[in-house]
Amino acid sequence: MTVFGLPVGASGAEALLENYCYSCHDEWEQKGNLQLDVLDTLPLESRLGVLNKVQEQLYFGQMPPKKKKKQPTVAERSEMLAWVAAELKKHDASTLEDKLRYPNFGNHVSHEKLFSGEIDEKPFTPARRWLVSPQIFIERINAVFGLEGGARQSSFYGVTVPVILPDHSGVRYYDTTTLDGGHLLMMLTNADWISKKQLREARVKNGEIKFNEFPNPKDKWTPRSTPEAFEVIVTKESSPAEAEMIAAIHTQYQCVLQRAASKSELERHLRLLKESISLAGNTEGLRQMLVSVLLKSEFMYRYEFGAGEEDEYGRRKLSPREASYAIAYALSDRNPDAELVKAAGEGRLNSREDYRREVIRILKDQSSFAGPGAPEVSGKGLSSHRVTHPKVNRFFREFFGYPNMTKVFKDTKRSGGFYSNAGRGTAGTSGHVIDEADKIVDHILRQDQNVFEQLLTTDEYFVYHTRPNEQTAAIIDRWREAYEVLKDEPWRDDPESVSLKHEELLKNNLGLKVPQQKKGKGRHDNTLVRLMGYFETTFGRGTTPYTNPPWAHGFRHQYSEIYNLAPIPGTRGKDTGQKGWDFQVQQPFKIPNRKGILTHPAWLLAHSQNTETDPVRRGKWIREKLLAGYVPDVPITVDAQIPEDPHRTLRERLDEVTSPQECWKCHVHMNPLGLTFEMFDDFGRFRTEEALEHPENLIKSGDGKSSASVYKTKPLKVNGFLEGTGNPALDGEVRDAYDLIDRLAKSRRVRQSIIRHAFRYFMGRNELISDSQTLIDAEAAYVKNGGSFKMVIVSLLTSDSFIYRKETQSSQ
Amino acid sequence: MKSRRNFLKQSMLGAGSMALTPGLFAANPKGKAPKRFIFIHKGNGLLPDTLVPSTLKGAELEKEKRKEAFEVSLKNHELPEWMGALSEHKENMTILQGLSGKMCTTGHHTWQSSLGVYKANERLSSIKWATVDFELAKLFPSSLEHIELACFPSGGGNSRGNINGIEKGFSARGPQQPNYAFGSPKVAIEELFKSVLSDKESKIQYQLERRLLEFAATSEGAMAEELRGIEKAKVKNYSDSIENIRERNRKMDAMSDVIRKHAPRLDDKYFADDLNTVDRQIGHAEIALSTLISGMTNVVTLTADELGTIYTGVTDIEKENVNLHDVGHGKPVGQFEALQVREKVRRHHMSLIDRLVSRLKSVPEDGGTMFDNTMLLYFPDNGETHHSKGTEWPFIVMSGKNAKLDIAGKYIRLPHYGKEGHKTLGNWYTSILNAYGNPVEHYGAIDTGLAHMDQKGAIKQFLG
Repeated sequence: MTVFGLPVGASGAEALLENYCYSCHDEWEQKGNLQLDVLDTLPLESRLGVLNKVQEQLYFGQMPPKKKKKQPTVAERSEMLAWVAAELKKHDASTLEDKLRYPNFGNHVSHEKLFSGEIDEKPFTPARRWLVSPQIFIERINAVFGLEGGARQSSFYGVTVPVILPDHSGVRYYDTTTLDGGHLLMMLTNADWISKKQLREARVKNGEIKFNEFPNPKDKWTPRSTPEAFEVIVTKESSPAEAEMIAAIHTQYQCVLQRAASKSELERHLRLLKESISLAGNTEGLRQMLVSVLLKSEFMYRYEFGAGEEDEYGRRKLSPREASYAIAYALSDRNPDAELVKAAGEGRLNSREDYRREVIRILKDQSSFAGPGAPEVSGKGLSSHRVTHPKVNRFFREFFGYPNMTKVFKDTKRSGGFYSNAGRGTAGTSGHVIDEADKIVDHILRQDQNVFEQLLTTDEYFVYHTRPNEQTAAIIDRWREAYEVLKDEPWRDDPESVSLKHEELLKNNLGLKVPQQKKGKGRHDNTLVRLMGYFETTFGRGTTPYTNPPWAHGFRHQYSEIYNLAPIPGTRGKDTGQKGWDFQVQQPFKIPNRKGILTHPAWLLAHSQNTETDPVRRGKWIREKLLAGYVPDVPITVDAQIPEDPHRTLRERLDEVTSPQECWKCHVHMNPLGLTFEMFDDFGRFRTEEALEHPENLIKSGDGKSSASVYKTKPLKVNGFLEGTGNPALDGEVRDAYDLIDRLAKSRRVRQSIIRHAFRYFMGRNELISDSQTLIDAEAAYVKNGGSFKMVIVSLLTSDSFIYRKETQSSQ
Repeated sequence: MKSRRNFLKQSMLGAGSMALTPGLFAANPKGKAPKRFIFIHKGNGLLPDTLVPSTLKGAELEKEKRKEAFEVSLKNHELPEWMGALSEHKENMTILQGLSGKMCTTGHHTWQSSLGVYKANERLSSIKWATVDFELAKLFPSSLEHIELACFPSGGGNSRGNINGIEKGFSARGPQQPNYAFGSPKVAIEELFKSVLSDKESKIQYQLERRLLEFAATSEGAMAEELRGIEKAKVKNYSDSIENIRERNRKMDAMSDVIRKHAPRLDDKYFADDLNTVDRQIGHAEIALSTLISGMTNVVTLTADELGTIYTGVTDIEKENVNLHDVGHGKPVGQFEALQVREKVRRHHMSLIDRLVSRLKSVPEDGGTMFDNTMLLYFPDNGETHHSKGTEWPFIVMSGKNAKLDIAGKYIRLPHYGKEGHKTLGNWYTSILNAYGNPVEHYGAIDTGLAHMDQKGAIKQFLG
């Protein structure tokens, strides 16, 4: 019996192919130039190429064509797939398996099946090397130098992080990357610098260099000491003894890989070390050995292979040492802490309970792992807020993708001047707004109740929240008191005598020196006249002043309009006498016309174009991230352009260009979701009409600094359509983005989709169908614990998927 | 250092008999010589008015004043006086005006912007893609692929640290991958010519490096052998890359006669740590010539200066530490007005270009000279002036007769910013890339301020 002309056992594949494939691809007809019944006549390479195509077409359900009435059942399709896979496996030639490992194929595993409860396969992760993340890389450098606590560095002068993560929204850190030449080039430079710094103090002791002598005057950072085993060799006048060399090799293995060298490693490094020392002397010879260890690929990878006996399903548990790294890197970027190392050493990292104990311990620890939540926004005038577990918060940052706001450049003039782009030393307005989005996420994570629903629907936000609420309240109280006392005094005309009269008040409440002059202070200094003028435009108009006055050095808070909040008086051109935004002391606070992260300006801008919104991308995001759906990539033949037209809204233009059937078959999955967000403009501001920005529609020209140009507008349509929740009560016509978001927040599928992404984040890979039980358990943990994300983490990190490794076709 | 000098002197001995033929390509079949590119960028802006031929008259002068499009042959015109050093090369020269670069970071410091056509800043994440010089290097591969030399800034916000070291440069190999540039002729020679350096220290370093790479290649290679599937790739790519570097080293070894022959001929003063800026530039130019002529690379990028470069050795004010930032703000230096100081700086740049062009013209290649296959671009890293907006981005281009763009011998002004037919830095680089074999639809970010125009593609009239 043959299939595709290839021999098969007594399977039903032949009949299935006869039924579904040969009618278009046989000796009578070769659609797409493909004839399947003569594969055995093709050279092996071509045959495998065809089989790979067949496998993909079957797997993604693209063949037989949808329009064909006769379709295989699910079971039949599986049977055909199994046969093709087996055939490819014989030659180790399947490309599908590799493709499915990448983030954009994550949703191809059937959602229904994953959560059906019918899968009884035992979960596991393929045994693997997993390239370190940029953050872990830096922490590994810290570990090389033995830096702890406050001595840890977030960057090193001579070290370039060789690892880059993609910048799409969604989980970005996967186990799919392989080390390559780019990494190597940077590692050569890095290793050179690191090894020189490792030996520096010993060389100073040895009199080779002076303590204040630096080849590069800008690079004076130096670790406090050189490990003793190295110092012995550097300071020795004669060649080192073999035992000393062995000690040095073990020491470098400990610094770099936190383990001793194996016997064969020791032999090889010893040979190199001896040769190098005889060639170049102790110091430089030793340095070569240090570099040789730093260049080991193991330094760049996390090892997860499992150890011990295989269980009946062919799986092995992570070794205690591997487990300590897996847990440490799941919850932080650092190597295992002392407790984990101890537990691993004492054989207390074997059982699920052991994992649970350590995971809960780390999650409860409020200080040891704390760090900046959004390190990349820090710059001039802004430093990221701190969070207890940056690695945990990072999941939501990547999932929502709002930090990509920094990458979108906007024309400042179009904003009327309130928006500033990222530039030298600053992430611009985006830095502040991203930080504000992060704060909401962190706020919700701290409460840890109904986390997903809260993230999607909260109406509370942080804006200009630069101090804890109590501090802000105290400042405002002091200012108000001073204003009430001084407002009827001649502070403008005679600040000197007013200041002398109210000396204590000025000192205590306003932090001013006495006497005050009318002029003569630096442009950024507080003066009585400036502060009282500011209070007049705030307290005097019944609003609360923002605690950083507009003349403060590095003042960048002129973007409140992005939330449709009026500007702080004095920040946007001349004072117009209008009430400014009534600054909120108690934050987070309610902002009208917003609902959750998807209406936060950071998310809206991150998913926008330079000069327009981006309904297609927003729709795609919701389809893929929240509905676990899939939209194929834009076909390469399509030049995706929305036509210009000064008389029509973006929606009208988009509708026209995507309405042809061949476009709509994909756009139907995106546009009806994304278009609901047209209630916000491309700066993220709520709107009811769309400005038709074209010279012929210009009503009033703005100066681009304190005012924007005004154009004719057209009413907006913001309704849409939701399908794909699997719940008829939720699917259907939606009024606007709020309606859409409310329904999404109620959808079980959305909850499951977020959990699938969390799985990917903590496991570094796409879920396999065999991970079904892990996902079901994680969802149950979320529901049972009142929507606790922490319990989702505990569930995932104590699952079989996390604990067990299995050798697969792709790993050894 | 003494032994290094000896080596250089020895190589100088051969200079008289130094046949001016590039050893590598002498044997190339006709027409097969690679194309070469030299990018030279400067800080503090390049004032468009200073590039206008003094003999421009009548309607053309009016157009120039109104910044309207026109072109004239340089044959019929006098170059501005400060460009005098290039008057011999007028037929190879293009003065290109009217490009804009508002999609770049402008103002004081611009990082990779002028070569990458995007808003780069000090964050690596701002590097969106490989800069244009690297794209060209891919089209004309060589052992070293690309060489970047820089007179690093020592002050200001763009400070790169050690101005004599190997530091992050102004080119990029790819997204988020800054290139490294040689800060001094000395460090460049130590790195680039180490295979032919004859002093003991260099020889030892050379041997150590070879052994280390062999060690790493063997260890990782052995590990890869035992693996299969994806896990194999995860190690094998790495060990293959180490092997590639070894292969490159072997190639360089095989070229060592040629490299030795063309090693830079530099006086001792170029090896000093306190080299003045002008000498540093000359040293870099010599290294550029050596690496191009010996065939080590086909693309060289030189940062002549950056705003934070403290200038020393400028003619007439040799003793002054010229702060370009202050000059940008109109501060005089000694008895000279800021504009005069700017001119002195440019005048020296022109002599560097003359040095490069003249030397390449003296090297026979393919029945002509090496310069025939060379294109040199001189331009500001930030546009039209000190506090630039990027509305103008003047270029001086020197191209040999085999150049694939039809621009030589002309003063070209393109339509001004925002006017119909206006062209950007992106269009300009797209033209070069398209002409030399990269069919990219458009290279560079788009200008949000020109959203109403079709900004993409090459400048058709340049493609001949």
